[in-house]
Amino acid sequence: MNDKAAVEFERVFKTFGNRKVLDDVSFKVNAGEALCIMGRSGTGKSVTLKLMIGLLKPDSGKVCIDSEDIAHSSEEDLSRVRRHMGFLFQSAALFDSFTLADNLALPLRRLDRSKSPSEIDRAVDEALEQVGLDLDKAKTPAELSGGMRKRAGLARALVLRPKLILVDEPSSGLDRITASEIDDLLLKVKKEYRATLVIVTHDVRGARRVGDHIAVLDRGRLIGFGTATELEKSDHDIVRQLVSES
Amino acid sequence: MRKFFTFIGEVSHFGLKGLVDAFRPPFEWEFFVLQIEQIGWQSLPLILAAGLALGIVLSMHTRGTLVQFGAEALIPTLQSASFFNELGPLVTGLLVAGRVGAGIGAGIANMRVTEQIDAIESLSIDSFKMLVVTRIVACILILPMLTLFMDFASLAGGFVSEHFVSHISLRLYLDRAFKTVEWANFIPPTLKTSVFGFIIGTVSGFFGYTTDEGSEGVQRAATNSVVLSSLLIILADVILVKAIFFLFPRDAI
Repeated sequence: MNDKAAVEFERVFKTFGNRKVLDDVSFKVNAGEALCIMGRSGTGKSVTLKLMIGLLKPDSGKVCIDSEDIAHSSEEDLSRVRRHMGFLFQSAALFDSFTLADNLALPLRRLDRSKSPSEIDRAVDEALEQVGLDLDKAKTPAELSGGMRKRAGLARALVLRPKLILVDEPSSGLDRITASEIDDLLLKVKKEYRATLVIVTHDVRGARRVGDHIAVLDRGRLIGFGTATELEKSDHDIVRQLVSES
Repeated sequence: MRKFFTFIGEVSHFGLKGLVDAFRPPFEWEFFVLQIEQIGWQSLPLILAAGLALGIVLSMHTRGTLVQFGAEALIPTLQSASFFNELGPLVTGLLVAGRVGAGIGAGIANMRVTEQIDAIESLSIDSFKMLVVTRIVACILILPMLTLFMDFASLAGGFVSEHFVSHISLRLYLDRAFKTVEWANFIPPTLKTSVFGFIIGTVSGFFGYTTDEGSEGVQRAATNSVVLSSLLIILADVILVKAIFFLFPRDAI
């Protein structure tokens, strides 16, 4: 870990219609750290992730990835920044009509044009092996269980060997054992890739296990930021309730 | 009323953007070929079966009337004139609107709901070009080809029906069928189906791409795609037939 910020939000505001989704949110995540974002439903957690990868633009404020403000960058610059990012969507968002191998090959073909077809195949095999799906590469998403789909989504997020991995609700819809397996994978990836992780989650157990820090959002405002132990002593009831394991 | 015109404006803008983007690189060849396969190749059995059946039915219906006037020799001519000019293009358009329109609407809407479109955008791929433009262009190009298959399948159906009743030879049937067919009354009606293809691709793509209502939105996108595409095809057909008669006055006689 070092003190260089991999992600930095500076006074970010975001509204949808009349609804304030993010209201003056500022925080930073150091390179190599894992930040878990928690909060009740509809408090802007997923929006925060989508701002980080440039799928949404803030109304005002800065969203910096490796010190580069992507809120005001061109599509080309954004594409270059995304080359070093991976996103695991809540529903895994695998392309239905593709096999698992094709799902993983697409980011490589689009964002890393230097790779030959055989190099792409090798990278796909490695990423699938990493998540234990190397024997399922010819299957389509419809043939996979919920847990397998999540692992496949993670493999796709990892295939570019990203420095920043964004994860939206890794444990949603999964039983506790499978959710714990996904957490193990995230920890393994963090260690092996020396990657920065930003994870949106409702699972306090997972957040305490994987996250170096936890951020708590409520009605668009950041009401808590720190380690789990620090947040247990927060003045906010909501923060204490969310990070408490009991 | 204002809402209606806003909707018309949005769909028109969506379709025109699709056409403009079709000429703007990078081109999504891989996905375009996939759409040609899904929209064209997979629709072919339906088109051939429908063409054959309609050919047989039309032949049976017309025979009864024409025999009364001793004009059964005109059956092949009537068959080709009906299908090449109107039935082939229109029925192909409506069948493809039903089969493909629902598929495009529901398919893209499902991708929106399950975050697949976000996943595409997160890879810096223009999802509109990849998902919508490829489908619009594939529909535009594939409809005239499917229409040709419909036309010739209907002639085949008509021949089978006539052969069983009057033992007419294939050669004589084709001679009579093509006696009055000219390029001017064959090419424009066939090419007008490109407009039908544009309507199907645009309308279905619009409902799918702009949905934001979960699984209910997927269902609504599929239904709306078929209903509006079919309606617009019928309305466009009236205008296009009038335009063809204006450009080729001999056909209007």
